[in-house]
Amino acid sequence: MYDLIPHLINGLALGLLFALLGLGFMLIIGVMEVINLAHGSLFALGAYLALALMAPDGGLPFAFMEPYYALPAVVRYVIALIVGPALVGLVGMGLELCLRRTYGTDPLYGLLLTFGAALVLEETIREIWGSTEYYLPVPKAISGGFIFGDLIYSNYRIYAAVFAAAMIGVLWLFLNRTPYGAVIKAGAHDSEMVRALGYNLKRLRLFVFAFGAALAAIAGIIMAPIWGIRPVVGVDAVIPAFVVIVLGGVGSFWGAVTAGTLVGLVVGLTAAFLTDWSMLSMYLLLLAVVTFRARGLAGKASVLEA
Amino acid sequence: MTKKKETPRSTSSLLTRRTFLGAAAAVGAGSAFMGPWKHNRVFAAASDKPIKIGLTHDASGQFANSGQAEKRGTIMAIEEANEAGGVLGRKVEYVWMDTETNPQTGTRVAERMITRENAHFLVGAIQSGTANAISQVAQKYGCIYFNTNSSSPTESGKNCHRVKFVWDGNGENFSRAAANNAIKAFGKKWLLVYNDYVWGQNTNEATKKVATGYGAEILDEIAVPVGTRDWSSILLKIQQAKPDVVAAAVGGDDFKVMRQQVRDMGLDGKPAWINNQQDWPDIYGLGADAAFGVFGTTWYHYLDLPGVSDFVKRYQARYETTRINVPGNVTYNGYIAMRELLRVVAEVGSTDNIKIIKALEGRTMSAADRMQHHDAVIDPTSHQVQQTIYLAEGNKNPRDDTDYFKILSNSDPESIRADANATCGLESYADTPNYDQG
Repeated sequence: MYDLIPHLINGLALGLLFALLGLGFMLIIGVMEVINLAHGSLFALGAYLALALMAPDGGLPFAFMEPYYALPAVVRYVIALIVGPALVGLVGMGLELCLRRTYGTDPLYGLLLTFGAALVLEETIREIWGSTEYYLPVPKAISGGFIFGDLIYSNYRIYAAVFAAAMIGVLWLFLNRTPYGAVIKAGAHDSEMVRALGYNLKRLRLFVFAFGAALAAIAGIIMAPIWGIRPVVGVDAVIPAFVVIVLGGVGSFWGAVTAGTLVGLVVGLTAAFLTDWSMLSMYLLLLAVVTFRARGLAGKASVLEA
Repeated sequence: MTKKKETPRSTSSLLTRRTFLGAAAAVGAGSAFMGPWKHNRVFAAASDKPIKIGLTHDASGQFANSGQAEKRGTIMAIEEANEAGGVLGRKVEYVWMDTETNPQTGTRVAERMITRENAHFLVGAIQSGTANAISQVAQKYGCIYFNTNSSSPTESGKNCHRVKFVWDGNGENFSRAAANNAIKAFGKKWLLVYNDYVWGQNTNEATKKVATGYGAEILDEIAVPVGTRDWSSILLKIQQAKPDVVAAAVGGDDFKVMRQQVRDMGLDGKPAWINNQQDWPDIYGLGADAAFGVFGTTWYHYLDLPGVSDFVKRYQARYETTRINVPGNVTYNGYIAMRELLRVVAEVGSTDNIKIIKALEGRTMSAADRMQHHDAVIDPTSHQVQQTIYLAEGNKNPRDDTDYFKILSNSDPESIRADANATCGLESYADTPNYDQG
């Protein structure tokens, strides 16, 4: 059991990150009813923008940025955490404007459009930053290791898990304790009714898409020091995000959080004890759950179960 | 722009009897030269058509960075040859296709290079699985293939071919160079971690064989799927096992991610890491402090040898915009292999595959010419270049931004020679199709 504890903690930390990854994805599906295949690319873009704001050799050779890079790393990191997601939010807005014409039509159009956007974003990243792998430097205060039992453990992992948990908490409070959160939830439930009540549905959708994109960027920035940064890192992100929301039940906040945690634990423990199966484990978990409960862990009953 | 509408015309008005007979005569005359390859040698003697090199370097997938670094070296050798007047008085051209670090794509690309692009030779590959796929197609047609940067022992072992020549050191070379010293310096308790595909598996086997031969005790062997993004569980497990040495055969993007996480978890000091081989593009971008542990390589741009700085300057003049503006080992292998191929073509005086293969087998290359410490030889029984292997570690006192590494030692090829004889069975000359694109 003693040997297991570090792996359980590790899996839990990983799970919170997966949950954060899935929530922005879920928000967009909820309100727009669009599976945003560009979510992973927005995740990658967030990581790259943070890199440009953190590291002098982050791929943007602008001389005027030199005084900025003289700022302490902590300051640059905070700026990256705010400015990066804000910029990606703007990109998300642009994408939503393109997506508008697909609402109410065959869902395939929205799917294709976001798939195209993912390709465009990935190629744009490749054009600007190249295909070289980057490492996002983080302030010293959250790097290095600490002793747990007789094991050294990563400070950054704990920071990332706490950050993810805090973000999940803030998001829950926003959705459940603020008027605008209530509108978003209502929009996810019945967007036409929200419009009938006099809310500007276009603006709501624009905001939610930008918000979801910014959440993807935040997840990208938090994951960057763990996963590394390269143009295709978005693909590594969009797949677990998809698994998390299907497993949790589409539309369920706590379902996504539970699913994220479960996926993290399963991936972590499999990697430790059955390493060869670590890549497959999340899919097997998904298969096991949806076989017996097609709606996911906390999803509403679907026609599949009728 | 509006598309010009074509006026429909009857076929009979286009194809007259005279045209048809003329075309048939032209095809008949052409077939004398363009038929089965064994006849092409007749044409080759009087040819002034360019010599075409098919470049099979990755631009996507796990080894995209290394593939592009390799391509720069290969093209540099081609361009230098052309600037010196070409080969056999002919211009050297190249056609490149992305093999996507994928064996299936490798097969497709090789087929196309040979049957449609009429490439005289194929050059390039990083991932051993892709290289193996290309070499099978190349052997089918008899087209000489230079595997420039794959380092699975199987490439010059059980997957060797008469037409294939392997230019990188392999896992067995590196293990022989590193294992004995690592046991003496760090201890006998070893844990092996490897990418679960052909290069990782076979390099791991070679490392295990060599290390246990020197007295190492293997605590565990961890096979890690390709594409693993989170290594924390594996690293915790390694830490729990408390080995003296971790020998890693992990490549490409996976290696970069692993490095980041090893450093992040503070495991870069102890245990000692023996990274079987290090391609420089896997480190660039991560920062010099990601270069922990000891690893093997075949070349470094700060080797204190004649010709090295001149080569670096020529590279920098040609490629001004690469992120790390110096050639690494992968670029070096691409350059040296391509240069040697063109030299042999010039010496043989033709592009006939069998003549060139015979000239390459057992060929010795001087240390000075290759910018290494010891002479190298192409093993006639395995077609692998036996060469100097360097051990290196991260450089704590870099002289500039490119100086990531410190060379610790160099090993004579004879002392670390890979023993491919047991598994490599080259096809006979008779079983190798004669191939010459003229």
